[in-house]
Amino acid sequence: MGGSPALPIPPDQSPLVLLDLLFKMRIKDVMSSTVITVTRSQTLREAQALMKANRITGMPVAEDGRLFGIVSMDDIVSALEGGWIGEPVEQHMTRNVVVLEEDMPLSFGASYFEKYQFGRFPVLSRDNLLVGILSSRDVSAAVLIELLQEFGRLEARLPAVQTPPEASPHHILLQFSVKKYDFERAGKGTHEIKRTLTGFGIDPRLIRRAAVASYEMEMNMVLHSAGGSLSCVIDPDRVEITARDTGPGIPNVEQALEEGYTTANEWIKSLGFGAGMGLPNIRRVSDDFAIQSSTAGTQVRVAIRFPPPPAPEGKPA
Amino acid sequence: MKLNLLALELNAEILHAGDRFELADVKHIIASDLMSDVLVIDRPGPLIVTSLASDQTLRTADIVGACGVLVVNGKNLPSDMKSLAAEYNISLLRTSLPKFEACLKLGRALGY
Repeated sequence: MGGSPALPIPPDQSPLVLLDLLFKMRIKDVMSSTVITVTRSQTLREAQALMKANRITGMPVAEDGRLFGIVSMDDIVSALEGGWIGEPVEQHMTRNVVVLEEDMPLSFGASYFEKYQFGRFPVLSRDNLLVGILSSRDVSAAVLIELLQEFGRLEARLPAVQTPPEASPHHILLQFSVKKYDFERAGKGTHEIKRTLTGFGIDPRLIRRAAVASYEMEMNMVLHSAGGSLSCVIDPDRVEITARDTGPGIPNVEQALEEGYTTANEWIKSLGFGAGMGLPNIRRVSDDFAIQSSTAGTQVRVAIRFPPPPAPEGKPA
Repeated sequence: MKLNLLALELNAEILHAGDRFELADVKHIIASDLMSDVLVIDRPGPLIVTSLASDQTLRTADIVGACGVLVVNGKNLPSDMKSLAAEYNISLLRTSLPKFEACLKLGRALGY
């Protein structure tokens, strides 16, 4: 294919980050090392066949790594028109070849495409041997790959971006077992619930309320019960969290719902809990709250409702 | 004020710098050793100042969406606290200042 080989990277107008990239990359990292060449004595017809077979629009004339010139599709077209297609390449090749050196920064290559209207440049080693060929396509591809990596690095530095909301949740069930005094894992269920809700793109304020309720429920079971389970059901309009334990039950539920009432010992308090805020706080953050307790166990069930998008936000209970 | 600048102001040791360390604009401080109290206070993206150095501190910080936890009194941390901070992506700082003095400095830096 012919067309303008110029690269859309003008050195004086491109963003600095791009110019910096071009300067850091070397020509030898970007060029094609497999070079299709013809010898001086081969005919232009043979050259044409090679170009056609390899789908290229030009190639260096070289022998044993030494560069003598370059033939392009234009030379072939002229030869067909002029009737010298059967003559040796040597007689019609371009002898003044603009070349690049393999150790040059890629910025040189990019500016050559800007400066000369050639589709490709032979690349020579330090000791003047032909080691590769650089096309504008090689440059675009390499720059694109580097830019994508750069974007990846930039993206990794951004604050945790909320993942795009999945389809609205429909009866998602999460379940966790909670063991007595298992501080190692206390809060993990809540962490998981929070993560799931975040994935659905739920309003962070509602997620926070659900997480606070869930965490207090989990801690209550770890601190005060013989163990139990935490379950969570997420629907499009609400999240419902239930804590069920296997005893010993709360002797006086009314009292336990008062702020500051606690049965926690010093050890629990040393862990930062047991201030008598648990149940009141659970009730405060939830829209629906129900508690049942007997010596066989306690069940606390809360719900946080997700207001429908157009309607004004509902008043929390 | 940005969390990293506050850390500098307090000469705090940076045990883990989360993604928001240089970005989080700290506007709210919750100073408490009672995680139950922390859970009651509803402020967006707070910095938690506490002398309670435990995994539960970080779990609570995660629940309330805190940008960081500042442990005061130069408390020793449980060995896995740093890795939990990394898992939850919450910045973890420590200062040798007592809680009241740390709060005073924070308050001045935030223009209280």
